[in-house]
Amino acid sequence: MTSTNSVTELPSTRTLAITTMAAVAVAGVVLVTLVLPAEYGVDPLGTGKALGLTAIANPSAGPAVTAPEGATAVTPVVEGPVGRYAATYKRDAVEFTLGPYEYVEYKYHLQSGAMMLYSWSATTAVVHDMHGELNGDPNQVTSFNKSTRENDSGAFAAPFSGLHGWYWENPGGETVTVKLTTSGFYSSAMEFRFDKTKVPHDVSIP
Amino acid sequence: MLRRMIGFTLLVVLMTVAAAPLSAAHDEFRIIGTVTKISSTEIAVKQKDGKVVEMDINKQTKFTRDKKPVKASEVKVGGSVVVDALGDSILDLTVLEVRLVPAITSAK
Repeated sequence: MTSTNSVTELPSTRTLAITTMAAVAVAGVVLVTLVLPAEYGVDPLGTGKALGLTAIANPSAGPAVTAPEGATAVTPVVEGPVGRYAATYKRDAVEFTLGPYEYVEYKYHLQSGAMMLYSWSATTAVVHDMHGELNGDPNQVTSFNKSTRENDSGAFAAPFSGLHGWYWENPGGETVTVKLTTSGFYSSAMEFRFDKTKVPHDVSIP
Repeated sequence: MLRRMIGFTLLVVLMTVAAAPLSAAHDEFRIIGTVTKISSTEIAVKQKDGKVVEMDINKQTKFTRDKKPVKASEVKVGGSVVVDALGDSILDLTVLEVRLVPAITSAK
């Protein structure tokens, strides 16, 4: 009877220590040259930049998207439910004091399809007519909403290019104040007073 | 042929001249104040800035109070009125409507 007694030799403590040190060293090199640049953008040796790894840590948003062809600051290009413009919308806030039986008109230059949000309020009920003038021609007026009320708020999409805005009339013997706030893609505003004077208004970018 | 062309040209010129008064644009003015003079053909109204505006009255002119028609004779000197008038300037106005309103306290 024979017997085979095979014994695998275990590494010595010294060999284990050297191997562990070598593994730690390799891991450290990988950490410093590859992981830190790629994960955190930390690149002390420049290897991340050389290998293009820092771009992984700092991804860009891609090229800037410009306005679609055909859009201007006041003319939208409609893409489904979105109308896109080539510039920021504008904002305006004005206040009018109307003496007894006086009226005022305040209108914005809006291109066809351009949007505007608005809110106005008066200290007492006033005769109001929201209307538009095709290409600014006072003989081609379309009334959109006409009534006597103290306030109104809404969103307006210009059905045609021209002047769009409001007529407010004080129907009584007491002074009335009307306040209007708007934001939208208009180019300018004009006030038409009952005494036939016209006052241009600047509109601001928010 | 030449006669027809001249005739056509004259016709166009005549039509243009005839249509000119119709196409002339008139602005609508609102005059607010107290009556200083009234007759069957003219009304004068003093505005709160002190200026007096004289306007023509014709058969189409309406006189109202509280949106109801009244006789022209109800317009009195010293009464408060709101006048809507048409014309090329404030010096050449024809009255569309004279509204008799309660005394306007802020009017001078």
